[in-house]
Amino acid sequence: MKDQSQLPQPGSHEGVILFTVGGFKFAIAAGSVKEIRGTGGLQEIKVKGNVAQMEKLRFILERDGATYFVVDAQRYFHLAKSAPGRVLILSDSPTALLVDSTDRMTDISALHALPRAFTQEERSWYRGLAVVDGEVVPVVNHDSLLSKGEQEVLRAGLDRLRDVSAV
Amino acid sequence: MSAAPERSYVLFPLGKKRFALPAETVAELARPDHLQTFPHRTPLLAGVLVRRGRIVPVCDVAQVLLGPDAPPRKFYLIAQRQGESRQEWTAIPVTGECELATLAQVPPEGTQPAYVTGMLEAGDETITVVDLEKLIAVEAKS
Repeated sequence: MKDQSQLPQPGSHEGVILFTVGGFKFAIAAGSVKEIRGTGGLQEIKVKGNVAQMEKLRFILERDGATYFVVDAQRYFHLAKSAPGRVLILSDSPTALLVDSTDRMTDISALHALPRAFTQEERSWYRGLAVVDGEVVPVVNHDSLLSKGEQEVLRAGLDRLRDVSAV
Repeated sequence: MSAAPERSYVLFPLGKKRFALPAETVAELARPDHLQTFPHRTPLLAGVLVRRGRIVPVCDVAQVLLGPDAPPRKFYLIAQRQGESRQEWTAIPVTGECELATLAQVPPEGTQPAYVTGMLEAGDETITVVDLEKLIAVEAKS
């Protein structure tokens, strides 16, 4: 029986963007990111209810007629500290990720499965692990940042907010 | 109490006590390596090592076996865990040199945690044999 943690996963040769949050380095598929920008234009969410209960969500961003829900990476990964400075706007999703800084783009030659010893939330956070210059870097599962269900709740909340402000 | 046939065990120290794993589950004893960490929520996991091209999780079982006052760990004992679909290496930090011994296992006395599969007697010393899979599962459930 082969140890699958050593095996590259299908589609593993890909470009990634390296970024940092709270002193930790992460990677995200370059193809999943539409734009990297500064934190200007972020609007703090000040509503109650379901939206407020999404602890990971702090801001929205209006951009080119679209609204992006900005997930705070510090809260998402339960980190003690961060110094947000960049926003990664995802492609094909109304989601953005608030991070401390972006490093560079690089290619990873293999995506290692997350060892099954990891059993908690990180199983949905990460697609797997990559080794970049000898350093193990988790590759973020961008689909899990904001689920379809969460997006629906947020859209509905945003529409209600707009209805109220239009009155 | 009847002893099972003699088998090979790797005896590993954690502080003043020693514990044992069946030798066939142990891959190697490694010197301190570069422990790498990233955010996660799994108890006991201290990080990962890169060993021979593999990413090996480091599971600090001393917290369960000895509690929070376990002395500093000096080496990594790398053992194989057998899952439903695949096997995986796991590194266990230990506090000193390990020993390979051929001994007969006897059933555990009294009520013991589920991860204790038996005891070994080496002279005056009684050594607890642990099931790594169950040991890690204990903490994962708690």
